[in-house]
Amino acid sequence: MDFWSNFLINLVQGLTTTLQILVISIPLSIITGFILGFARVYGNKIIFYISTGISTTFRGLPLIVTLLILFFGLADLKIYLSPFWASILGFTLCGGSYISEYVKGAIQSIEQGQAEAARALGMNKLQEIIYIILPQTLIRALPGVSNEIIYMIQYSSLSFVIGVKEIFSVAKTFNSLYFRSIEIFTTVAFVYLLLIAIATLVFKIIENKLKIT
Amino acid sequence: MISDTILNVVDLHKKYGDSIALDGVSFRVRKGETKVIIGPNGSGKTTLLKCLNLLVKPDKGRIWLGNIEITDPRININKIRRKIGFVFQDFNLFHHLTVLNNVMIGLVKVRKLKKHQAYKKAVDALSTVGLDNTLYHKYPAQLSGGQKQRVAIARALAMDPVIMLYDEPTSSLDPQFVNEVLQVIRKLAKNGVTSIIVTHQIDFALEIADEIIVMHKGRIIESGRPTELLSNPQNILTKKILIRNFRTLR
Ligand SMILES: Nc1ncnc2c1ncn2[C@@H]1O[C@H](COP(=O)(O)OP(=O)(O)OP(=O)(O)O)[C@@H](O)[C@H]1O
Ligand SMILES: [Mg+2]
Repeated sequence: MDFWSNFLINLVQGLTTTLQILVISIPLSIITGFILGFARVYGNKIIFYISTGISTTFRGLPLIVTLLILFFGLADLKIYLSPFWASILGFTLCGGSYISEYVKGAIQSIEQGQAEAARALGMNKLQEIIYIILPQTLIRALPGVSNEIIYMIQYSSLSFVIGVKEIFSVAKTFNSLYFRSIEIFTTVAFVYLLLIAIATLVFKIIENKLKIT
Repeated sequence: MISDTILNVVDLHKKYGDSIALDGVSFRVRKGETKVIIGPNGSGKTTLLKCLNLLVKPDKGRIWLGNIEITDPRININKIRRKIGFVFQDFNLFHHLTVLNNVMIGLVKVRKLKKHQAYKKAVDALSTVGLDNTLYHKYPAQLSGGQKQRVAIARALAMDPVIMLYDEPTSSLDPQFVNEVLQVIRKLAKNGVTSIIVTHQIDFALEIADEIIVMHKGRIIESGRPTELLSNPQNILTKKILIRNFRTLR
Protein backbone atom coordinates (compact mmCIF):
# COMPACT_ATOMS: atom_id res chain seq x y z
CA MET A 1 0.00 0.00 0.00
CA ASP A 2 1.36 3.42 -0.86
CA PHE A 3 1.95 6.13 1.74
CA TRP A 4 -1.16 8.19 1.06
CA SER A 5 -3.74 5.42 1.15
CA ASN A 6 -2.14 3.93 4.23
CA PHE A 7 -1.95 7.32 5.93
CA LEU A 8 -5.48 8.33 5.03
CA ILE A 9 -7.02 5.07 6.19
CA ASN A 10 -5.30 5.44 9.54
CA LEU A 11 -6.16 9.13 9.67
CA VAL A 12 -9.85 8.36 9.27
CA GLN A 13 -9.62 5.84 12.09
CA GLY A 14 -7.87 8.46 14.21
CA LEU A 15 -10.48 11.03 13.33
CA THR A 16 -13.21 8.62 14.35
CA THR A 17 -11.60 8.26 17.76
CA THR A 18 -11.14 12.03 18.10
CA LEU A 19 -14.78 12.58 17.20
CA GLN A 20 -15.93 9.93 19.67
CA ILE A 21 -13.97 11.62 22.44
CA LEU A 22 -15.33 15.04 21.53
CA VAL A 23 -18.92 13.96 21.06
CA ILE A 24 -18.90 12.49 24.54
CA SER A 25 -16.75 15.02 26.39
CA ILE A 26 -18.20 18.24 24.97
CA PRO A 27 -21.75 17.71 26.30
CA LEU A 28 -20.35 16.28 29.54
CA SER A 29 -18.12 19.30 30.04
CA ILE A 30 -20.99 21.71 29.35
CA ILE A 31 -23.17 19.91 31.89
CA THR A 32 -20.30 19.79 34.39
CA GLY A 33 -19.58 23.47 33.79
CA PHE A 34 -23.19 24.47 34.47
CA ILE A 35 -23.42 22.31 37.58
CA LEU A 36 -20.12 23.67 38.93
CA GLY A 37 -21.02 27.24 37.99
CA PHE A 38 -24.42 27.15 39.69
CA ALA A 39 -22.93 25.34 42.69
CA ARG A 40 -20.35 28.09 43.04
CA VAL A 41 -23.03 30.79 43.08
CA TYR A 42 -25.95 29.12 44.84
CA GLY A 43 -24.31 26.39 46.89
CA ASN A 44 -24.00 26.44 50.65
CA LYS A 45 -20.53 26.71 52.18
CA ILE A 46 -19.62 23.04 51.67
CA ILE A 47 -20.86 22.88 48.10
CA PHE A 48 -19.17 26.19 47.37
CA TYR A 49 -15.79 24.96 48.62
CA ILE A 50 -16.04 21.65 46.79
CA SER A 51 -17.07 23.18 43.46
CA THR A 52 -14.58 26.02 43.70
CA GLY A 53 -11.88 23.50 44.64
CA ILE A 54 -12.60 21.32 41.61
CA SER A 55 -12.72 24.25 39.25
CA THR A 56 -9.56 25.87 40.60
CA THR A 57 -7.63 22.60 40.52
CA PHE A 58 -8.44 21.65 36.95
CA ARG A 59 -7.94 25.16 35.65
CA GLY A 60 -4.63 25.23 37.47
CA LEU A 61 -3.21 21.93 36.24
CA PRO A 62 -1.79 21.71 32.73
CA LEU A 63 -4.15 19.40 30.88
CA ILE A 64 -1.31 17.09 30.00
CA VAL A 65 -0.59 16.60 33.72
CA THR A 66 -4.26 15.94 34.43
CA LEU A 67 -4.30 13.26 31.73
CA LEU A 68 -1.14 11.59 33.06
CA ILE A 69 -2.53 11.57 36.60
CA LEU A 70 -5.87 10.16 35.50
CA PHE A 71 -4.26 7.39 33.49
CA PHE A 72 -0.97 6.47 35.17
CA GLY A 73 -1.57 8.00 38.59
CA LEU A 74 -4.93 6.35 39.16
CA ALA A 75 -3.55 3.06 37.86
CA ASP A 76 -1.05 3.13 40.70
CA LEU A 77 -4.02 3.34 43.03
CA LYS A 78 -5.52 0.33 41.28
CA ILE A 79 -8.12 2.40 39.50
CA TYR A 80 -7.80 1.42 35.86
CA LEU A 81 -9.25 3.69 33.22
CA SER A 82 -8.77 2.97 29.55
CA PRO A 83 -6.85 5.70 27.69
CA PHE A 84 -10.09 6.59 25.92
CA TRP A 85 -12.11 7.08 29.12
CA ALA A 86 -9.23 8.70 30.98
CA SER A 87 -9.04 11.38 28.30
CA ILE A 88 -12.80 11.89 28.33
CA LEU A 89 -12.66 12.34 32.09
CA GLY A 90 -9.72 14.73 31.76
CA PHE A 91 -11.37 16.85 29.06
CA THR A 92 -14.65 16.93 30.95
CA LEU A 93 -12.99 18.08 34.18
CA CYS A 94 -10.78 20.64 32.48
CA GLY A 95 -13.42 21.96 30.05
CA GLY A 96 -16.11 21.90 32.71
CA SER A 97 -13.92 23.89 35.09
CA TYR A 98 -13.31 26.61 32.53
CA ILE A 99 -16.94 26.65 31.46
CA SER A 100 -17.98 27.05 35.10
CA GLU A 101 -16.09 30.36 35.10
CA TYR A 102 -18.19 31.63 32.21
CA VAL A 103 -21.35 30.31 33.83
CA LYS A 104 -20.54 31.94 37.16
CA GLY A 105 -19.78 35.24 35.45
CA ALA A 106 -23.00 35.02 33.46
CA ILE A 107 -25.12 34.35 36.54
CA GLN A 108 -23.52 37.22 38.40
CA SER A 109 -24.09 39.58 35.49
CA ILE A 110 -27.85 39.09 35.71
CA GLU A 111 -29.40 42.03 37.54
CA GLN A 112 -30.83 41.43 41.01
CA GLY A 113 -34.17 42.71 39.70
CA GLN A 114 -34.73 39.56 37.62
CA ALA A 115 -34.71 37.36 40.71
CA GLU A 116 -36.77 39.90 42.63
CA ALA A 117 -39.42 39.94 39.93
CA ALA A 118 -39.53 36.14 39.94
CA ARG A 119 -40.00 36.06 43.69
CA ALA A 120 -42.61 38.80 43.54
CA LEU A 121 -44.64 36.54 41.25
CA GLY A 122 -44.50 33.81 43.89
CA MET A 123 -41.83 31.60 42.37
CA ASN A 124 -39.79 29.51 44.77
CA LYS A 125 -35.99 29.41 44.54
CA LEU A 126 -35.94 26.39 42.21
CA GLN A 127 -38.50 27.90 39.81
CA GLU A 128 -36.59 31.17 39.85
CA ILE A 129 -33.37 29.38 38.88
CA ILE A 130 -34.90 27.11 36.26
CA TYR A 131 -37.25 29.52 34.50
CA ILE A 132 -35.49 32.87 34.93
CA ILE A 133 -31.81 32.56 35.78
CA LEU A 134 -30.78 29.44 33.83
CA PRO A 135 -32.09 30.55 30.41
CA GLN A 136 -30.44 33.94 30.74
CA THR A 137 -27.23 32.28 31.89
CA LEU A 138 -27.27 30.04 28.80
CA ILE A 139 -27.52 33.06 26.54
CA ARG A 140 -24.86 35.06 28.32
CA ALA A 141 -22.38 32.19 28.77
CA LEU A 142 -22.64 30.95 25.20
CA PRO A 143 -19.77 32.94 23.62
CA GLY A 144 -17.42 31.78 26.39
CA VAL A 145 -18.63 28.21 26.14
CA SER A 146 -18.08 28.11 22.40
CA ASN A 147 -14.54 29.39 22.89
CA GLU A 148 -13.88 26.65 25.39
CA ILE A 149 -15.24 24.01 23.02
CA ILE A 150 -12.81 25.20 20.36
CA TYR A 151 -9.95 24.82 22.83
CA MET A 152 -11.18 21.34 23.65
CA ILE A 153 -11.04 20.35 19.99
CA GLN A 154 -7.45 21.53 19.86
CA TYR A 155 -6.48 19.98 23.19
CA SER A 156 -8.00 16.63 22.27
CA SER A 157 -4.66 16.05 20.51
CA LEU A 158 -3.03 15.82 23.95
CA SER A 159 -4.58 12.44 24.60
CA PHE A 160 -1.78 10.93 22.51
CA VAL A 161 0.37 11.07 25.67
CA ILE A 162 -1.68 8.34 27.29
CA GLY A 163 -1.81 6.29 24.14
CA VAL A 164 -5.13 7.16 22.55
CA LYS A 165 -4.94 6.52 18.80
CA GLU A 166 -6.54 9.78 17.72
CA ILE A 167 -5.57 11.81 14.65
CA PHE A 168 -2.59 13.55 16.14
CA SER A 169 -1.03 10.29 17.34
CA VAL A 170 -1.59 8.79 13.88
CA ALA A 171 0.28 11.76 12.44
CA LYS A 172 3.14 11.37 14.88
CA THR A 173 3.44 7.67 14.17
CA PHE A 174 3.46 8.19 10.41
CA ASN A 175 5.95 10.97 10.72
CA SER A 176 8.40 8.72 12.52
CA LEU A 177 7.90 6.02 9.87
CA TYR A 178 8.00 8.14 6.73
CA PHE A 179 9.51 11.51 7.73
CA ARG A 180 7.09 13.32 5.43
CA SER A 181 6.41 16.02 7.98
CA ILE A 182 5.00 18.69 5.71
CA GLU A 183 2.35 16.49 4.10
CA ILE A 184 1.45 14.74 7.33
CA PHE A 185 1.12 17.70 9.64
CA THR A 186 -0.49 19.97 7.05
CA THR A 187 -3.14 17.35 6.48
CA VAL A 188 -3.75 17.05 10.22
CA ALA A 189 -3.82 20.82 10.62
CA PHE A 190 -6.43 20.96 7.89
CA VAL A 191 -8.60 18.41 9.69
CA TYR A 192 -8.46 20.39 12.94
CA LEU A 193 -9.30 23.61 11.11
CA LEU A 194 -12.27 21.90 9.53
CA LEU A 195 -13.52 20.64 12.91
CA ILE A 196 -13.16 24.09 14.42
CA ALA A 197 -14.88 25.75 11.48
CA ILE A 198 -17.82 23.40 11.90
CA ALA A 199 -17.98 24.00 15.67
CA THR A 200 -17.80 27.77 15.18
CA LEU A 201 -20.60 27.63 12.65
CA VAL A 202 -22.81 25.51 14.90
CA PHE A 203 -22.33 27.89 17.82
CA LYS A 204 -23.03 30.92 15.61
CA ILE A 205 -26.30 29.32 14.57
CA ILE A 206 -27.23 28.59 18.19
CA GLU A 207 -26.26 32.11 19.23
CA ASN A 208 -28.44 33.62 16.52
CA LYS A 209 -31.32 31.38 17.47
CA LEU A 210 -31.11 32.50 21.10
CA LYS A 211 -30.60 36.16 20.31
CA ILE A 212 -33.17 38.29 22.09
CA THR A 213 -32.90 41.84 20.88
CA MET B 1 -60.57 45.18 62.91
CA ILE B 2 -62.70 47.00 60.39
CA SER B 3 -64.16 44.36 58.16
CA ASP B 4 -63.12 45.85 54.83
CA THR B 5 -59.48 46.25 55.81
CA ILE B 6 -57.43 44.34 53.27
CA LEU B 7 -53.96 45.19 54.53
CA ASN B 8 -53.01 45.92 58.09
CA VAL B 9 -49.46 46.97 58.90
CA VAL B 10 -48.42 47.26 62.52
CA ASP B 11 -45.21 48.81 63.80
CA LEU B 12 -42.72 47.80 61.09
CA HIS B 13 -39.05 48.24 61.81
CA LYS B 14 -36.13 47.62 59.46
CA LYS B 15 -32.43 48.37 59.74
CA TYR B 16 -29.73 47.85 57.14
CA GLY B 17 -26.67 47.45 59.32
CA ASP B 18 -26.77 50.53 61.47
CA SER B 19 -28.92 52.66 59.20
CA ILE B 20 -32.58 52.75 60.10
CA ALA B 21 -34.87 52.41 57.07
CA LEU B 22 -38.20 51.86 58.86
CA ASP B 23 -38.82 53.08 62.35
CA GLY B 24 -42.27 51.99 63.45
CA VAL B 25 -44.63 52.21 60.49
CA SER B 26 -48.31 51.36 60.89
CA PHE B 27 -51.25 51.87 58.54
CA ARG B 28 -54.26 50.17 57.05
CA VAL B 29 -55.55 49.85 53.54
CA ARG B 30 -59.21 49.29 52.83
CA LYS B 31 -60.52 47.27 49.91
CA GLY B 32 -60.60 49.40 46.78
CA GLU B 33 -58.59 52.16 48.37
CA THR B 34 -55.77 54.01 46.63
CA LYS B 35 -52.98 54.87 49.01
CA VAL B 36 -50.11 57.05 47.85
CA ILE B 37 -46.80 57.24 49.67
CA ILE B 38 -44.61 60.28 49.20
CA GLY B 39 -41.44 61.43 50.91
CA PRO B 40 -37.87 62.49 50.21
CA ASN B 41 -35.17 60.12 48.90
CA GLY B 42 -34.07 57.58 51.46
CA SER B 43 -37.15 58.00 53.61
CA GLY B 44 -37.90 54.26 53.45
CA LYS B 45 -40.65 54.10 50.83
CA THR B 46 -39.16 51.27 48.79
CA THR B 47 -38.22 49.36 51.92
CA LEU B 48 -41.77 49.67 53.19
CA LEU B 49 -43.27 48.45 49.92
CA LYS B 50 -40.87 45.49 49.71
CA CYS B 51 -41.68 44.55 53.30
CA LEU B 52 -45.30 44.17 52.27
CA ASN B 53 -44.53 41.11 50.12
CA LEU B 54 -41.48 40.19 52.19
CA LEU B 55 -38.97 40.85 49.42
CA VAL B 56 -37.41 42.63 52.37
CA LYS B 57 -37.81 40.96 55.74
CA PRO B 58 -38.81 43.40 58.48
CA ASP B 59 -36.87 43.15 61.75
CA LYS B 60 -39.98 43.69 63.77
CA GLY B 61 -43.68 44.32 63.22
CA ARG B 62 -46.61 42.42 61.80
CA ILE B 63 -48.51 42.49 58.54
CA TRP B 64 -51.93 41.03 57.80
CA LEU B 65 -53.25 40.52 54.30
CA GLY B 66 -56.96 39.94 54.71
CA ASN B 67 -57.08 37.71 57.77
CA ILE B 68 -53.74 36.00 57.12
CA GLU B 69 -50.71 37.18 59.02
CA ILE B 70 -47.98 37.10 56.40
CA THR B 71 -45.25 37.85 58.95
CA ASP B 72 -46.07 34.54 60.64
CA PRO B 73 -42.92 32.48 60.08
CA ARG B 74 -44.97 29.35 59.37
CA ILE B 75 -46.61 30.92 56.33
CA ASN B 76 -45.61 29.89 52.79
CA ILE B 77 -44.66 33.29 51.46
CA ASN B 78 -44.74 32.16 47.81
CA LYS B 79 -48.48 31.53 48.15
CA ILE B 80 -48.90 35.08 49.46
CA ARG B 81 -46.68 36.80 46.94
CA ARG B 82 -48.67 35.55 43.98
CA LYS B 83 -51.60 37.55 45.31
CA ILE B 84 -49.63 40.76 45.67
CA GLY B 85 -48.89 42.57 42.43
CA PHE B 86 -45.56 44.35 42.50
CA VAL B 87 -44.46 46.90 39.91
CA PHE B 88 -40.80 47.92 40.03
CA GLN B 89 -39.24 51.22 39.18
CA ASP B 90 -36.94 49.51 36.63
CA PHE B 91 -39.67 47.23 35.20
CA ASN B 92 -37.64 44.05 35.75
CA LEU B 93 -39.26 42.32 32.81
CA PHE B 94 -37.68 38.94 32.08
CA HIS B 95 -35.20 39.68 29.29
CA HIS B 96 -35.37 36.25 27.70
CA LEU B 97 -39.15 36.09 27.40
CA THR B 98 -41.49 37.73 24.94
CA VAL B 99 -44.14 40.16 26.15
CA LEU B 100 -46.73 37.40 26.16
CA ASN B 101 -44.50 34.95 28.01
CA ASN B 102 -43.54 37.57 30.57
CA VAL B 103 -47.21 37.80 31.47
CA MET B 104 -47.91 34.08 31.13
CA ILE B 105 -45.01 32.63 33.09
CA GLY B 106 -46.44 33.35 36.53
CA LEU B 107 -49.81 31.97 35.49
CA VAL B 108 -48.34 28.77 34.06
CA LYS B 109 -45.50 28.05 36.47
CA VAL B 110 -46.82 29.49 39.71
CA ARG B 111 -50.58 29.27 39.39
CA LYS B 112 -50.31 26.14 37.23
CA LEU B 113 -52.96 27.25 34.78
CA LYS B 114 -53.30 25.45 31.47
CA LYS B 115 -51.54 27.19 28.57
CA HIS B 116 -54.77 28.30 26.89
CA GLN B 117 -56.24 29.66 30.13
CA ALA B 118 -53.02 31.51 30.85
CA TYR B 119 -52.99 32.85 27.31
CA LYS B 120 -56.49 34.19 27.68
CA LYS B 121 -55.73 35.88 30.99
CA ALA B 122 -52.51 37.33 29.62
CA VAL B 123 -54.26 38.80 26.61
CA ASP B 124 -56.93 40.24 28.91
CA ALA B 125 -54.33 41.88 31.11
CA LEU B 126 -52.35 43.18 28.16
CA SER B 127 -55.41 44.76 26.63
CA THR B 128 -56.34 46.29 29.98
CA VAL B 129 -53.00 48.11 29.95
CA GLY B 130 -53.62 49.06 26.32
CA LEU B 131 -50.71 47.19 24.81
CA ASP B 132 -50.98 46.75 21.07
CA ASN B 133 -51.19 43.08 20.10
CA THR B 134 -48.50 43.55 17.45
CA LEU B 135 -46.08 43.76 20.40
CA TYR B 136 -47.02 40.43 22.02
CA HIS B 137 -44.12 38.54 20.47
CA LYS B 138 -41.50 41.23 20.96
CA TYR B 139 -38.79 41.01 23.60
CA PRO B 140 -38.51 43.66 26.37
CA ALA B 141 -35.40 45.14 24.73
CA GLN B 142 -37.53 46.04 21.72
CA LEU B 143 -40.05 48.09 23.71
CA SER B 144 -40.17 51.71 24.86
CA GLY B 145 -40.02 52.43 28.57
CA GLY B 146 -43.73 53.14 28.71
CA GLN B 147 -44.54 49.87 26.96
CA LYS B 148 -42.24 47.95 29.28
CA GLN B 149 -43.87 49.35 32.39
CA ARG B 150 -47.32 48.60 31.02
CA VAL B 151 -46.26 44.99 30.37
CA ALA B 152 -44.92 44.85 33.94
CA ILE B 153 -48.28 46.06 35.21
CA ALA B 154 -50.04 43.44 33.08
CA ARG B 155 -47.74 40.73 34.42
CA ALA B 156 -48.74 41.62 37.97
CA LEU B 157 -52.38 42.17 37.12
CA ALA B 158 -52.82 38.83 35.35
CA MET B 159 -52.21 37.03 38.65
CA ASP B 160 -55.49 38.45 40.01
CA PRO B 161 -53.79 40.25 42.89
CA VAL B 162 -55.76 41.43 45.90
CA ILE B 163 -53.53 44.48 46.00
CA MET B 164 -51.14 46.22 43.62
CA LEU B 165 -47.93 47.80 44.87
CA TYR B 166 -46.18 50.32 42.62
CA ASP B 167 -42.67 51.55 43.46
CA GLU B 168 -42.09 54.80 41.57
CA PRO B 169 -43.58 53.33 38.40
CA THR B 170 -42.72 56.35 36.25
CA SER B 171 -39.35 57.38 37.65
CA SER B 172 -37.32 55.47 35.06
CA LEU B 173 -39.36 56.74 32.13
CA ASP B 174 -38.56 59.42 29.61
CA PRO B 175 -41.05 62.27 30.12
CA GLN B 176 -43.05 61.48 26.99
CA PHE B 177 -43.98 58.02 28.35
CA VAL B 178 -45.04 59.04 31.85
CA ASN B 179 -48.65 59.74 31.01
CA GLU B 180 -49.48 56.45 29.30
CA VAL B 181 -48.38 54.63 32.47
CA LEU B 182 -50.17 56.97 34.88
CA GLN B 183 -53.25 56.56 32.70
CA VAL B 184 -53.19 52.79 33.27
CA ILE B 185 -52.66 53.09 37.02
CA ARG B 186 -55.46 55.64 37.21
CA LYS B 187 -57.81 53.37 35.26
CA LEU B 188 -57.10 50.39 37.50
CA ALA B 189 -57.55 52.43 40.66
CA LYS B 190 -60.84 53.82 39.35
CA ASN B 191 -61.98 50.26 38.63
CA GLY B 192 -61.49 49.40 42.27
CA VAL B 193 -58.09 47.74 42.23
CA THR B 194 -56.66 48.26 45.72
CA SER B 195 -53.35 50.06 45.24
CA ILE B 196 -50.38 51.45 47.09
CA ILE B 197 -48.36 53.81 44.95
CA VAL B 198 -44.98 55.27 45.81
CA THR B 199 -44.37 58.30 43.66
CA HIS B 200 -42.65 61.64 43.36
CA GLN B 201 -45.39 62.90 40.98
CA ILE B 202 -47.18 65.04 43.53
CA ASP B 203 -49.91 66.28 41.21
CA PHE B 204 -50.75 62.69 40.30
CA ALA B 205 -50.71 61.73 43.98
CA LEU B 206 -53.12 64.51 44.89
CA GLU B 207 -55.42 63.63 42.02
CA ILE B 208 -55.62 59.88 42.54
CA ALA B 209 -55.11 59.22 46.27
CA ASP B 210 -57.84 58.39 48.72
CA GLU B 211 -55.16 58.93 51.31
CA ILE B 212 -51.61 60.22 51.12
CA ILE B 213 -48.92 59.00 53.49
CA VAL B 214 -45.91 61.26 53.96
CA MET B 215 -42.72 59.49 55.05
CA HIS B 216 -39.54 60.89 56.46
CA LYS B 217 -36.60 59.03 58.00
CA GLY B 218 -38.49 55.76 58.21
CA ARG B 219 -41.58 57.17 59.86
CA ILE B 220 -44.99 58.30 58.73
CA ILE B 221 -44.95 61.97 59.62
CA GLU B 222 -48.39 62.75 58.32
CA SER B 223 -51.26 61.20 56.46
CA GLY B 224 -54.63 62.29 55.21
CA ARG B 225 -56.89 63.01 52.29
CA PRO B 226 -55.28 65.11 49.56
CA THR B 227 -57.61 68.03 50.26
CA GLU B 228 -56.78 67.94 53.95
CA LEU B 229 -53.05 67.86 53.30
CA LEU B 230 -53.27 70.65 50.80
CA SER B 231 -55.43 72.96 52.85
CA ASN B 232 -53.99 72.25 56.23
CA PRO B 233 -50.63 70.47 56.24
CA GLN B 234 -49.52 69.75 59.81
CA ASN B 235 -45.88 69.18 59.06
CA ILE B 236 -43.47 71.67 57.59
CA LEU B 237 -41.98 68.96 55.35
CA THR B 238 -45.38 68.08 53.93
CA LYS B 239 -45.89 71.70 53.10
CA LYS B 240 -42.52 71.91 51.41
CA ILE B 241 -43.06 68.77 49.35
CA LEU B 242 -46.52 69.83 48.25
CA ILE B 243 -45.60 73.38 47.38
CA ARG B 244 -42.38 72.51 45.61
CA ASN B 245 -44.05 69.93 43.46
CA PHE B 246 -47.67 70.81 42.93
CA ARG B 247 -47.86 72.95 39.85
CA THR B 248 -51.30 74.46 40.36
CA LEU B 249 -50.79 75.20 44.02
CA ARG B 250 -50.16 78.77 45.13
N1 LIG C 1 -30.19 47.05 50.39
C1 LIG C 1 -29.86 48.05 51.20
N2 LIG C 1 -28.72 48.00 51.94
C2 LIG C 1 -28.37 48.99 52.77
N3 LIG C 1 -29.09 50.11 52.95
C3 LIG C 1 -30.22 50.24 52.25
C4 LIG C 1 -30.66 49.22 51.34
N4 LIG C 1 -31.82 49.62 50.78
C5 LIG C 1 -32.08 50.83 51.32
N5 LIG C 1 -31.14 51.21 52.20
C6 LIG C 1 -31.12 52.44 53.00
O1 LIG C 1 -32.34 52.51 53.71
C7 LIG C 1 -32.89 53.81 53.67
C8 LIG C 1 -34.26 53.78 53.02
O2 LIG C 1 -34.10 53.44 51.64
P1 LIG C 1 -35.32 53.27 50.65
O3 LIG C 1 -34.76 52.77 49.36
O4 LIG C 1 -36.37 52.44 51.30
O5 LIG C 1 -35.81 54.76 50.50
P2 LIG C 1 -36.78 55.39 49.41
O6 LIG C 1 -37.72 56.25 50.18
O7 LIG C 1 -37.35 54.36 48.56
O8 LIG C 1 -35.80 56.32 48.59
P3 LIG C 1 -35.90 56.76 47.04
O9 LIG C 1 -36.90 57.85 46.96
O10 LIG C 1 -34.51 57.23 46.74
O11 LIG C 1 -36.27 55.57 46.25
C9 LIG C 1 -31.88 54.65 52.92
O12 LIG C 1 -31.06 55.30 53.88
C10 LIG C 1 -31.08 53.67 52.11
O13 LIG C 1 -29.77 54.12 51.94
MG1 LIG D 1 -37.26 53.94 46.46
